[in-house]
Amino acid sequence: MHNDLSTPETVPDPGRRSFLKTGLGGALFLGSVSLTAGISGCATTPAGLQAAAPDGSGDYTFRFLSTDDIVMFEALLPAILGPTLTEAPEQRRHDIRATIETIDAGIFQFGAPNQKELRKLFDLLNFGLTRATLAGVWSSWKNVSTADATAFLDRWKNSSIGLFNQGYIALTKISNVSYYGQPEQWARSGYPGPPEWAASALPQFQTPS
Amino acid sequence: MAMTDLIAQGLANGWQVTDAASLTDNLTLETDVVVIGTGAGGGTTAEILARAGLSVIMVEEGRLYHQKDFKMDELTSYATLYQEGLSRVTRDGAIAILQGRCVGGSTTVNWTSSFDTPDPTLNYWADHFGLEELRPDNLRPWFADRKQRHNIAPWAVPPNANNDALRRGCEQLGWSWHVIPRNVKGCWNLGYCGMGCPTNAKQGALTTTVPGALEHKAQLIHSLRADRLVMDQDRISHLEATPLQTDSVTPMPLKVQIRARHFVVAASALGSPALLLRSDIPDPHGRIGKRTFLHPVNATVGEMPDKVDPFYGAPQSIYSDEFNFSQGVDGPAGFKLEVPPLHPAMASGVLPGHGEAMGQDVAKLPWMQSMLALIRDGFHPDSQGGEVSLRDDGSPVLDYPVTDYLWRGLRDAYLRMAEAQFAAGAKQVRLVHLDSPWYSNWREAEAAIRDLPMALHRARLFTAHQMGGCGMGADPQDSVVDGFGQHHQVTNLSVHDASIFPTSIGANPQLSVYTLSARNSSRLASKLTR
Repeated sequence: MHNDLSTPETVPDPGRRSFLKTGLGGALFLGSVSLTAGISGCATTPAGLQAAAPDGSGDYTFRFLSTDDIVMFEALLPAILGPTLTEAPEQRRHDIRATIETIDAGIFQFGAPNQKELRKLFDLLNFGLTRATLAGVWSSWKNVSTADATAFLDRWKNSSIGLFNQGYIALTKISNVSYYGQPEQWARSGYPGPPEWAASALPQFQTPS
Repeated sequence: MAMTDLIAQGLANGWQVTDAASLTDNLTLETDVVVIGTGAGGGTTAEILARAGLSVIMVEEGRLYHQKDFKMDELTSYATLYQEGLSRVTRDGAIAILQGRCVGGSTTVNWTSSFDTPDPTLNYWADHFGLEELRPDNLRPWFADRKQRHNIAPWAVPPNANNDALRRGCEQLGWSWHVIPRNVKGCWNLGYCGMGCPTNAKQGALTTTVPGALEHKAQLIHSLRADRLVMDQDRISHLEATPLQTDSVTPMPLKVQIRARHFVVAASALGSPALLLRSDIPDPHGRIGKRTFLHPVNATVGEMPDKVDPFYGAPQSIYSDEFNFSQGVDGPAGFKLEVPPLHPAMASGVLPGHGEAMGQDVAKLPWMQSMLALIRDGFHPDSQGGEVSLRDDGSPVLDYPVTDYLWRGLRDAYLRMAEAQFAAGAKQVRLVHLDSPWYSNWREAEAAIRDLPMALHRARLFTAHQMGGCGMGADPQDSVVDGFGQHHQVTNLSVHDASIFPTSIGANPQLSVYTLSARNSSRLASKLTR
């Protein structure tokens, strides 16, 4: 059942496998990927102000995610959220964009040390060589199908290598929390929101007239 | 009626509260006592010392949030009220650490469960760490005093469906269960304790001891990160601190120095050892940061035939100690059984998964019942806890090895929780574990759980209780502070928080922190006013 990267084209050599198994080796490796990704032209700086999308979402200033990270999440979110994500194209684009903005806002509050860890993970997934060899994703994210993204998530989830499990949890947790936690998506979990009787009786919910 | 917002009232009445983010120049202050941290330990300390007539400055890294900010909104609360925006984990990423970071510390976001330190724990401390004066009989008046201060009493309202399932499961199986004492006054039974109490009913540090200290002329500086305690020969001369911007993460190019006669560190089991390590506080036996305990938590979810609405109602009101001390205080890892509240973001962050299966799981939320186990760590040679050290930027990180001894306790806890959920009527149960499907009956679950890999990252682990790292004891060779929280080597330094516990507690720790801090602060006050 732990067939991690064992589809024929993605088996890493045993040397790399044992290398990754040591926590320190893993961390150093991820560190060097970050460096390489930066040198080789991957976007690793925050995407900054992104103009309002035509579908009606407002301007938003990205403070952590790079333009490459945004493209990656655009490919991953349909696989992470599955059929829960609406098919209606405009609403779908809007929901994906809103979720990526929520992810960015959340990560900003993580603080520098955990941001550094996520930067390593995202660089690994954006840098072609490591994306192909470690994630088994051969195309750049903008060309990755939902089926391919799902296969990648399954591989990292079922891998016997803890570092990949950890990457899987990092990607899915921040995505799931950022999506299902939005008031617009509360209905997906059958959550009616805070009791109205309480909100209407509490001063912090009243807008000054 | 919503209870009065003491903070808003006090600010209007001219309390000495400074938002360090608003500073424009370096600042040097002088006071009798600096208290670092405003949670269960720091709040208690500040109030008692201020009431004794000492001048006190409270320093808090997080920001001051109060009723106006508590809007029952998960995403905002998790980002602003928790350490590292609720992304804190152990170094290997295997255990998620839930810890408050705001005025009031974790007491602002906890689920209000308030237990006496169990007698076997106190007796174990006396027997193994020379802490004779902490035997249960000696502490009883202090527990009573703090229960009054924080209005702690068993929850008199019927439990919500989520907690009632634990009661029902225990009844069916013949296990003991009890009602949880809570620190609330006029509670609306809403269920949003973890996001900051919207009604001021929760009697945590934010609504009791911090206002009490401020009423007695103490000063509070929030959004101020304590960097280091600076020694002058054998005493601490001052604290160096850095203001953080209103985003609460970006340091400002300013310094705050506070000189004082005495320094009380109450910055949590991760924060306190880290501050002492950054300060190069004398540590001849290398004890700072060692023996850190977490009550490692695992969890299960069950789909109930009727709606549970686990997002509503007092989050924790029933517990079972059936398996906590039953095999002896130092036998196989015991655990306390409780229930967590589930709101959409929390539920989808705790349950691992993606795609259609995840969407289906999340859609079950109104029928979802959850149980958790707090593993009692630190009472056995194979449970020595973790170690806090410093990252490049000086912030703390915890290495916590999950030993085979703990895995056995975790597997046992998975079994008992699944059994209790089926006994309570669950249609199906799954573990919060990457390899767990939904099981449709207890027999199937039992067989599967016995074979499930107990491995890091696959079993999803959590901690809401961080303890130890500045352990107390009679012998300076194996402890950092004495039985009164007084540092063994530095005479004007005390530690007043959960970091002084020499083991875990075996119960939610807030009342243990309130109680020991009150006792130790009363003694400190009499020493300093002599």
